[in-house]
Amino acid sequence: MHTADVMIKAMAMEIGNNDIFLHGLASPLPALAMHLAKLTHAPHMVYINVADALDPEPDSYKLCLSSADPRHALNTKAVIELLETFDLAAKGKLTGMFLGGAQIDSKGNINLTCIGDYYSPKVKLPGGAAAAYLTPIVKKLIIWTTNHSKRVFVEKLDFVTGLGYEEGKEKDVTVITNMAVFKVTKEGFVLKSIHPDVTVEEVIENMSFSPVVKDVETTPTPSKDELKLIEKLDPDGVRFSEFKK
Amino acid sequence: MQNRLVDVEKAVELINDGDSVTLSGVSMVRAPMGFVREIIKAGKKDLYLIDREPGMDFDILIAAKAVKKVRVAMLGFELFGLALNFRRAVENKEIEWLEDTCGAITNALRAGASGMPFVVVKGILGTDLVEIHEKEGTWKIINDPFTGEKILAVKAINPDVAVIHVQKADKYGNASIEGSRFEDVYKAKGAKKVIITAEEIVDTEYFMKYPERNTIPYFYVDAVVHMPKGAYPTACPNYYDPDYDEIRKYLAMCREGKVDEYIKEWIEKEV
Repeated sequence: MHTADVMIKAMAMEIGNNDIFLHGLASPLPALAMHLAKLTHAPHMVYINVADALDPEPDSYKLCLSSADPRHALNTKAVIELLETFDLAAKGKLTGMFLGGAQIDSKGNINLTCIGDYYSPKVKLPGGAAAAYLTPIVKKLIIWTTNHSKRVFVEKLDFVTGLGYEEGKEKDVTVITNMAVFKVTKEGFVLKSIHPDVTVEEVIENMSFSPVVKDVETTPTPSKDELKLIEKLDPDGVRFSEFKK
Repeated sequence: MQNRLVDVEKAVELINDGDSVTLSGVSMVRAPMGFVREIIKAGKKDLYLIDREPGMDFDILIAAKAVKKVRVAMLGFELFGLALNFRRAVENKEIEWLEDTCGAITNALRAGASGMPFVVVKGILGTDLVEIHEKEGTWKIINDPFTGEKILAVKAINPDVAVIHVQKADKYGNASIEGSRFEDVYKAKGAKKVIITAEEIVDTEYFMKYPERNTIPYFYVDAVVHMPKGAYPTACPNYYDPDYDEIRKYLAMCREGKVDEYIKEWIEKEV
């Protein structure tokens, strides 16, 4: 089984039946996870995407290379401007958002802005998109990376683009990688599960800080039927393009 | 209503060197690429480009040395990788940049359209962007006058020019964006000058029949240009999908250091 499918399932499991979720650009795994959740355990979930679409029909959906591709708005029920979704977030009604992280620290804070100093960056990254705005105000923040490594899991971010765990705030922070699933809580960066064929040692070796390791489970994998759903939504395998060959 | 339908060469004269300019669309959807080509052809300089999440439109203008500064929440090519000319220009300090965040820049555009001097925006506090923008004079932490709580004030954005590619417009400037609108209606309503490029020029009867489809009414608009395939190689919903191969070709040529060659061919070819 490809790691992409394991990550999609793990993302989907964070989505509840009464949730409103948004995905942004460059988000093939979240787009599929939202479909998978809605087609299985969360049929009433509200699905909004960066193509300004509401509940895109899974039957006519085909995952495209740009997350804003107009085909992701095929048979949408409404045009929901991103500003409207941001208004939902300001009212506390947007449950969750998925964001990447070029760097992630032990609080689940993320850097998407630059490597090195802001005013003379070594690498100018594409930018934080909605991270700074949404990370402090959503109820469920799901951070993902397909590059579980010391370069991503750093002790100190070069730039704080988005906020992870914040004490006293009702916010569930999940970090999903190509190796494992973490929850960031007051106890720290807690390793919840490791994907099949991954060891706890590998997970820890590839991080610059130590996660909390207590009761580690194996990440549940998608069933045969769920895999069929994913395959049908993404027949071209766009979901694999984030992974190094 | 006045006839605003003009040739593209005439419309591009509305842009002055040094202007702040915002462009329609997001990433690989409904960017006004045809007009971008005209901006390059006209040799415009020192533009200050502002948008939420642009793509090839901004990157190619940077490559053509038409840009002084960029303000974006994100600028890249999604799964295809970084915007190479943007990256190089920032890292070599050839252009200035201001990173924004989607919730702030979209609200700032809406505030501009509303005629408000600023808007308060939730979130953001605690991130490193605050210091950058306080230095820039674009954001300020203030106290909510009613509760006393700290909240971020974001200065409205009123660009000098907005260039909006739409599916249908009439010669007076009534314009219809079909499908996803992103912030394009606010961009148009907040900008000092508005240029509409349209796939199709329709009779005004079209808007009389479907007034709800008039997303940017004529009195906001300074020029209308008939430009079929005006978003190509980005998508124009209901007309064409993005041409991913063409966008890949652009990036490949950028990687090989042949972006000038790409631009030359692109200008000569005309779509």
